[in-house]
Amino acid sequence: MMQNELHNQRLLREAEQANARLHTRRHFLRECAFGFGSLALGSLLQSCSIGSANAGTSAIPFDPAHPLAPKLPQFPAKAKSIIYLHMAGAPSQLELFDYKPDLMKLDGQDCPPSLLEGKRFAFIRGVPKMLGPQARFAQHGGSGAWVSNYLPHFSSIVDEVSFLKAVTTDQFNHAPAQLLVHTGSPRLGRPSIGSWVTYGLGTENQNLPGFVVLTSGGKFPDAGKSVWGSGFLPSVYQGVQCRSEGDPVLFIKDPKGMDRDLRKASIDAINQVNEEEYQEYQDPEILSRISQYEMAYKMQIAAPEVMNINNEPAYIHEMYGTQPGKACIANNILLARKLVEKGVRFVQIFDWGWDTHGTAANLSIDVGLNNKCRTVDKAMTALILDLKQRGLLEETLVVWGGEFGRTPMLENRDGKQNPFKGRDHHVEAFTIWMAGGGIRKGVSYGETDEIGYAAVSGKVTPNDIQATLLNQLGFDHEKFTYQFQGRPFRLTDVSGKVIDEIVA
Amino acid sequence: MILSIAEFIGRFHPVLVHLPIGILLIALLLQWLSQRSQYALGEGALRLLWVSGTLASWLSCATGYLLSLSGEYDEQTVDWHMWMAVSLALLASLLCVLIFKHVTGKWFRAASLLLLLLIMITGHLGGSLTHGADYLTSGLSNSDGQPKTVAKVIPNIQEASAYTDVVEPLLQSKCYSCHGPTKQKGGLRMDSPAWLLKGGKEGQVIRGGQADQSELIKRLLLAREEEHHMPPKEKPQLSERQIALLHWWVEQGADFTKKIKELPQAEKTKALLLSFQGPAQQKMPSTVPEEPVDAADEKALQRLRDRGIIVLPVAQNSHYLMVNLTMAAAIKDADIELLLPLKKQLVWLKAGGTNISDTALQFISQCSQLTVLQLNSTRITDRGLPLLRSLSNLQSLNLVGSSVSMQGVMPLQSLKKLQAIYLYQTQVQSADWKQLTRAFPRVQLDSGGYKVPYFTTDTTLMQPPVQGK
Repeated sequence: MMQNELHNQRLLREAEQANARLHTRRHFLRECAFGFGSLALGSLLQSCSIGSANAGTSAIPFDPAHPLAPKLPQFPAKAKSIIYLHMAGAPSQLELFDYKPDLMKLDGQDCPPSLLEGKRFAFIRGVPKMLGPQARFAQHGGSGAWVSNYLPHFSSIVDEVSFLKAVTTDQFNHAPAQLLVHTGSPRLGRPSIGSWVTYGLGTENQNLPGFVVLTSGGKFPDAGKSVWGSGFLPSVYQGVQCRSEGDPVLFIKDPKGMDRDLRKASIDAINQVNEEEYQEYQDPEILSRISQYEMAYKMQIAAPEVMNINNEPAYIHEMYGTQPGKACIANNILLARKLVEKGVRFVQIFDWGWDTHGTAANLSIDVGLNNKCRTVDKAMTALILDLKQRGLLEETLVVWGGEFGRTPMLENRDGKQNPFKGRDHHVEAFTIWMAGGGIRKGVSYGETDEIGYAAVSGKVTPNDIQATLLNQLGFDHEKFTYQFQGRPFRLTDVSGKVIDEIVA
Repeated sequence: MILSIAEFIGRFHPVLVHLPIGILLIALLLQWLSQRSQYALGEGALRLLWVSGTLASWLSCATGYLLSLSGEYDEQTVDWHMWMAVSLALLASLLCVLIFKHVTGKWFRAASLLLLLLIMITGHLGGSLTHGADYLTSGLSNSDGQPKTVAKVIPNIQEASAYTDVVEPLLQSKCYSCHGPTKQKGGLRMDSPAWLLKGGKEGQVIRGGQADQSELIKRLLLAREEEHHMPPKEKPQLSERQIALLHWWVEQGADFTKKIKELPQAEKTKALLLSFQGPAQQKMPSTVPEEPVDAADEKALQRLRDRGIIVLPVAQNSHYLMVNLTMAAAIKDADIELLLPLKKQLVWLKAGGTNISDTALQFISQCSQLTVLQLNSTRITDRGLPLLRSLSNLQSLNLVGSSVSMQGVMPLQSLKKLQAIYLYQTQVQSADWKQLTRAFPRVQLDSGGYKVPYFTTDTTLMQPPVQGK
C-alpha cells in the first residue's frame, strides 16, 4: 500500500517535472522581453532540478516539500544515530593502540631497505631511522585491549569498544584521505556519510537539522567543507556546521526590535512569494527552499536550548571536562550527546591538530600528541559512559579515528632530521575504534606485523567501515544508491564489505 | 607426490563410466523395440552396440578398480559399487553371447531387465561416492539445506575444552566433508582423535608440539594456489585466526582432553583465543519478530500522525512499527490508547520525556510484541511498572529519570527475553543493587552515575623539552 502510494506519487512528480520543463521553455520565449534576468533564472532553476528529477528513479523516495521527513531503512536498523569523532591530521596508532615492543628494539636504527623500496611517503626521503613507541602500554579490561598511558581515561572503557587495528587507505595526503574516509572517494564531489544517511533516513526531529558538524582545534579539516558536503545529493542534506563559540548558529536570535510574530510574518511572506514562484515554475527545489525557511523558524526555538551546553548539570560538565565558553572538543562532544538525545541523525566532530610530524613541539609524537590526547581522552570516555547510562549507546554508534596512520619510522623531512620526534603519514596500517549501535564489545579485529608497518590480517578499508556504518543503520550499501549523471552512485562506490567480525 | 601410472589411468573412470550406461541403455531399448518395423535396426548394428557396451563396461570396471586403490572413498560403498559393476559386466557379456547365438526368448528378456536394474544400482552407488551419500535426497528432507550442526556459543574461552569446543567444530566445518565418514581422501579421516592421530596414506598429519612439522598445519599454510594446499582452493577456506588457533593447539601438544586454560598461552594467543569467545558466534537477537504480520489499520496510523506522533514501519517491506511520541506536544495518558489498534505490530516505543503515568502502562502492557520500550523521564511509578510483566518479548527497557524503585522492577524477573534495564537517576538505592543483580542474572542492569575521575593531566599540558632533540 505504502509502496503503491509512493509509486503513484513518483509518477505524478515525474509528470509534473516533465511538464515543468516544457513550461519554462514557453515561459522563456514569452518573457524574453523581461531581459536576461529571466533567462538566467530559467537556466539556473533548470540546473537545480536535474538532481531531484533523477531522484524520481532512485530507490529512496525524495519529497522536495519534506526532504527531512523520517524514511524507512531497507532492513531493521540496530543504530539510529552516529557520532563520528574525526581526529584530523591522523593520530599515531603506534602511540595509542597498536603495541609493538619489537619496534622499541629497533629504535634509532636505520630503516631496512625492504620497508622503503617501491614506497612513497609524504615527507620521508632517503633512509630514515626507526622510532620506538613513545608511550607506555598496558592491557586493560576483561578484553585485555592494549592502550597506552596517553589515554588513561579511555583505557577504563575498552570493554565497550571494538578496535579495528588493520585499517588501510590508499591516500597519503590529508585532504584526499579525509575525503575517502567521509565520502567514499578521494576526489571532490561525492556526498558525505552524513548526507547519505539523512537522505536515506531523514530525521525524526523536524526542529533540528539531521546532520550537524562541529569543529575544534583552531582549523578546519584539510579537505574543507567537502567532507560534510552533499555532493550530488540535494543540498538540503549537507552537514549544518555549528559554531563552537558564542551562538551555535549565527543570527539565530531575532534582531533587536523584531519580535517572533514579525519574524513569522516575514517568513510567511517570503514563503508566499516562493509558493507563487513554485506555481509558476513547478520546480521542486523551491519547495525545498520553503521547507528550509520553515525549519529555520522552528530551529530558532529548539536550537538555542539544545545547542547550549550551559544548562547541563555541573557533574556532567565535570565528567566531560568541558571548558564552557571556549572552542574545544570536550564541549563539542557533550553537545553531540545532547543532539543525538534529541534525535539528530548524524553528528560529525572534527578536531584539528593531530598531524604529528615533529616539526614543532606541539606537533611531536612525545609532547604534542600527548597533549592532544589530554584534550579528548576524558570527553570521549564520558561520551561512551553517558550514552550508556541513558540507554542511548545501544542505538548510537560512535566512531573514532583519523584519515590514515603514521610510520614506524622517525620522520626525516627531505632527508634532514626534524627538531622533534615525529612520524610521517602512513597508509598501510592504522587503528579506528567503534562503540555502541550494535557493534560488538571488547573486540580487537585485525593485526599488523611486529613493527606495525603493515596489516597482516583483518585488513579493512574506509569503504568497509562505511559499509558497516550503513549496515548498522539498516542499509545494504550495495543497494543504497542515487541516480546521477546516468548511473547509480553509492557511498562505497565499487568496493566495501561489511565487517561482520565486529557486528553484534 | 607424483601420480602413479595406475592412479592416472584410474582417474579416467569418471569419464568412462558414462559410456556403458549410455550404450547399454540404448542397446536395451532398441533390442526391445526390434519387433516393431519402424525401429528395427539391422542385426549387425545391434551386435555392435552390445559388444561395444560390454567392452566399455569392462573398461570402466578396470579403471574403477585402479581409482579405488587411492583409498579416498568410503570402503563399504566402493565394495558394493565394484561387485555390482562386475556383475553388470558379466551379465552384459552373457547377453552378448546370447545375441550372437540368436537366443532372444523369454530368458533373454528377463536377463535384460536385470541388466537395467544393475545399471541403475551401480550408477547410483557411483554417484554416492563422488557427491556424498545424501546428495540426492538432501534437498528433499531439509529444505533450507543448512548443515544440521550449529556452532556452540562459548561463554568463557578459558574454561572451554580445547579440542571438543574449539578445534573439533572447526575441523568439522572445514575438513570432515572429504576426511570424514563418507570420504577419506588421501586415506585420511579426521572425525575422531584416534583417526586424526593415525594420519593418512603418507603418514601422520599431526606432530604434537611441532606445529611447523605437522602436515596438517603445513598444508593449511601453503598458498591457496599450491596444489597441496588444504582445503582445496575451490572449497571454503579457514580464516587466518582459525589457522593460528590450530597452529597453537598443535604446538601445545595437540591435546584432546585439556581445557584452554591448562595450556600455555602467549599474550598474542590470549587475544586470539578471546576472539573465539561468546559473541564471536552469538549474534544479537533481533528486536523485530521473524514471523510476518498483517499491516496495521491505516486509519489508526493516521490518527496517530494527526496527533503529531511519528509512526513508521521499522523497515521497507515490514509491517512491524516503531512509534516515537517524543516529538508530539503534550502527550497525555489518553493518547496512549491510540496505540492499541497497533498492538500486534508495535515493536519499538519511544515515550521518553512525555507526561505519561501508570494509567498509560495499562495500554502499553497490551502491546505484547514490544521489544524496545523507552519510558525515561516519565511519571510512571512502582504501582504501574509490574503491568509490564505481560510484555514477554521485551528486550530493552529504559526507566532512566523515572521514580521507580527496586519494588517496581523486581516483578519483571519473569521477562525471559529481557537484555537490559536502564535505571540511572531512579529511586533504586545503592543498597538494593546486590539483590537486583541476583534477581536478574542475565540482564544488563545499568545503574548509571558513572564518574570519570579527575587526573591532573586533564587540565595541564606537557611542556616540550628545552631543546628539540
